[in-house]
Amino acid sequence: MEKILDKQRLDDWIAALTDWEAFAPAVEDGVWAFRPVVGAARLDHPNTKQPPKGFAFPQREVFFSFEQIKGEAPRLTQKLPDSKHRVVFGVRPCDARGTVRMDRVFADHVDDVYYQSRRNNMAYVGLACNKPPSAHCFCLSVGGSPVSSDGLDVLMTDLGDRYFLAAITETGKSLMTTAGDLLKMPAAADRKQAASVHAEAVAQPQRAINNPDGAPARLKASFKSPLWEELAQACIGCGICTFLCPTCHCFDINDEVTGSAPLKGNRVRTWDNCQFPDFTMHTSGHNPRPTVGARLRQRVCHKFQYFHENFGMHQCTGCGRCISDCPVGIDIVHVVNKVTEHAG
Amino acid sequence: MSEEEQAYEPKIVAFLCKWCSSAGSDLAGVSRIQYPANATPITVPCSGSISPLYILSAFNKGADGVLLSGCHIGDCHYIEGNYLARRKIYLIKELLEMVGVEPDRFRMSWVSAAEGAKYAQVVKDFVADLKPLGPQNKLKADRT
Amino acid sequence: MIDVQSIRDAARDLLAKGEVRAVIGYQRGSRGMLAEPVTITDPEQADELVWDATCFHNLALYLVEDRKALAHAQRTPNLPIAIVAKGCDARAIVVLMQEHYFKREDVYIIGVSCEGGGVLVEYKLARLLNGAQALSAVIDGAELVVTTLAGEVRLPASEVMADRCLECREPFPKEHNVVFGEDQTSRQLVAPFTALARFEALSEADRWAYWCRQFERCIRCFACRSVCPMCYCDECVVDSITFPVAPETTAEEKANRIRWIERSAVRSENITYHMTRAMHLAGRCIDCGECERVCPVNIPLRLLNNKMEREAREHFGYEPGASIGGPSLVASFRDDDPGQFIR
Repeated sequence: MEKILDKQRLDDWIAALTDWEAFAPAVEDGVWAFRPVVGAARLDHPNTKQPPKGFAFPQREVFFSFEQIKGEAPRLTQKLPDSKHRVVFGVRPCDARGTVRMDRVFADHVDDVYYQSRRNNMAYVGLACNKPPSAHCFCLSVGGSPVSSDGLDVLMTDLGDRYFLAAITETGKSLMTTAGDLLKMPAAADRKQAASVHAEAVAQPQRAINNPDGAPARLKASFKSPLWEELAQACIGCGICTFLCPTCHCFDINDEVTGSAPLKGNRVRTWDNCQFPDFTMHTSGHNPRPTVGARLRQRVCHKFQYFHENFGMHQCTGCGRCISDCPVGIDIVHVVNKVTEHAG
Repeated sequence: MSEEEQAYEPKIVAFLCKWCSSAGSDLAGVSRIQYPANATPITVPCSGSISPLYILSAFNKGADGVLLSGCHIGDCHYIEGNYLARRKIYLIKELLEMVGVEPDRFRMSWVSAAEGAKYAQVVKDFVADLKPLGPQNKLKADRT
Repeated sequence: MIDVQSIRDAARDLLAKGEVRAVIGYQRGSRGMLAEPVTITDPEQADELVWDATCFHNLALYLVEDRKALAHAQRTPNLPIAIVAKGCDARAIVVLMQEHYFKREDVYIIGVSCEGGGVLVEYKLARLLNGAQALSAVIDGAELVVTTLAGEVRLPASEVMADRCLECREPFPKEHNVVFGEDQTSRQLVAPFTALARFEALSEADRWAYWCRQFERCIRCFACRSVCPMCYCDECVVDSITFPVAPETTAEEKANRIRWIERSAVRSENITYHMTRAMHLAGRCIDCGECERVCPVNIPLRLLNNKMEREAREHFGYEPGASIGGPSLVASFRDDDPGQFIR
């Protein structure tokens, strides 16, 4: 199903989606984020600082609450997510492909009811990238594209004064149907323009991973390479790359105790980070990844080797956030290229 | 004041130095001085040993007011502890105010072991100043 | 204007003559014109060193990392380590020495003056260049010489510089073994603590609303802590998870670790973390501004540290990083310290 939407009617479409809570990019204090739509929605954003992974996989989520009166068995109350339908506008193709990878882990690979319950109520309306939103985009190198619809329910393409809409899933179709006569049938000229905008988008220069297909094997052969310490030398061990990544998903589970008599609290899942020095600290005191090189190797190999071995696709989707936001310039494209070049 | 406001009893966490202020609060007790029961005392060895984390943690756990009390200047059992407290607590007080926490929620006093009446008065005044501010929810953790 | 070759020559000499075991400096990275930290051990690598307006990083952090690596390996080096240091970085090194983290003779400071300029802020530069891509940006007196594809552009440094540089009171590394560039300490671009004063003029309600917004955005990536040379604790008190354990640590000790804040990146925990950090840096923060620069969600962290710095200056006569033998702010006192707030 393909339609045309006048840019001025975008807000009307969102308003018509009464069964959905709508989110769109908004800027606050210079930071772009997906926020509930208040007033006019805008889709003139570079990419958001954080990817939309937080919708299905929030940074903090309560699994269950517990209460135990002394002498009795603890009472657990499961806290399943609400059943609100949420639609996010302005999702870039790299982030949508990130969602596909998150689904592999939490929905296909493991029966995570919390993730799945949120995920099944999400809809992603994407925006094709006519120009790379970042100087560090490299989606083409990892099997993606600025016009990919993988992981999206609807793909929107900016044609200047209007958007070309393509429904990708049944949910996407139903979102577009709700718009009623706000959407018009595309003319042949519209289709032609959309095709040429797409072709131009794909032709835009990007960073490049030199040998993405050879990366899994070459990284595997480079486990003991001294390059890891050299490339990680400046790393400060913060969590920016991992927390901003559309596909990083490690988590920690803790009990947040709120009362002692009776014992009360919540079992909470929070994001964790393999770049924190203590991520692999054992209770014996041993840390198998004691250096920044070991931790850089872990993250890069997870993206370009381990995930590929497990699921047949690179985990990285080329959004470039880890490159642009690293405080000291650790550059995953540079790292993968350098290590795979010297492999074996 | 509405009924609700009148019924509201602020919870105060009071860090009292063992040698002076905690003894002073004991004296208030044995002297049967009547004063509001809103303060939960925590005895510390010295006002100088109070870490800013104690204060922030008390607010995080829901304290409506935090009181610190130690020996008078020159009388510290550890000689210098209260001088260091005076400096550190000044800084945390300024930081709390800067962030927007009501200044009346945090206070410090010098109460000696002989000043049972003063301790009672300090708590009385604190409760009276806290009541109109209502429950503290700026730094309080939302444990849901 | 500093000729980068003189920095390279100094580094090469020190390494070639075996006077230092390594030089911590800046090199051009793979992200266009931005510099990045590097540690070189070979005199031939000296030509990779750069010095320009993108040398944001406080390299004193790497002195701390080096010291930790040595301690872990139980090695005592026989040679000092050299470091390229701006005015702010040199003050950080002084604080570390004041705290006996290492001795003066362990470090060879290659000082570089920011003269009339300082490091740039990318978005300010982008705004002034109106879309043109900058290939390099070098400080020349009070100007920034920016090379773009269309040629060279000269901009007043004050329009592109970071706030921390505009307010800087000492753009010259007083503590050094060798120094390049003029001492323009009296340049006074913007009054110190200007950003802080502007913020403090807000009402209590507005200040609280402001910090609520900031701390709700915080994702607890800990970049602010990781980039700060003075946050060198292996166990950060707010992060109970980082408490190191040894084979001798008992189960009871592990179970009874105080958890001051939860892992959850929610407002209450975030505020406690940031305020604790500000308190722990009182008298130690030399306003290199790195914490604010690296924050991925633009939290104006400098405001918290500046508040502590200004109070220390005005009420305790204290200047962090002023002298190696000086006392620490919170472990010293004066008879006339303010006490009127104490009942």
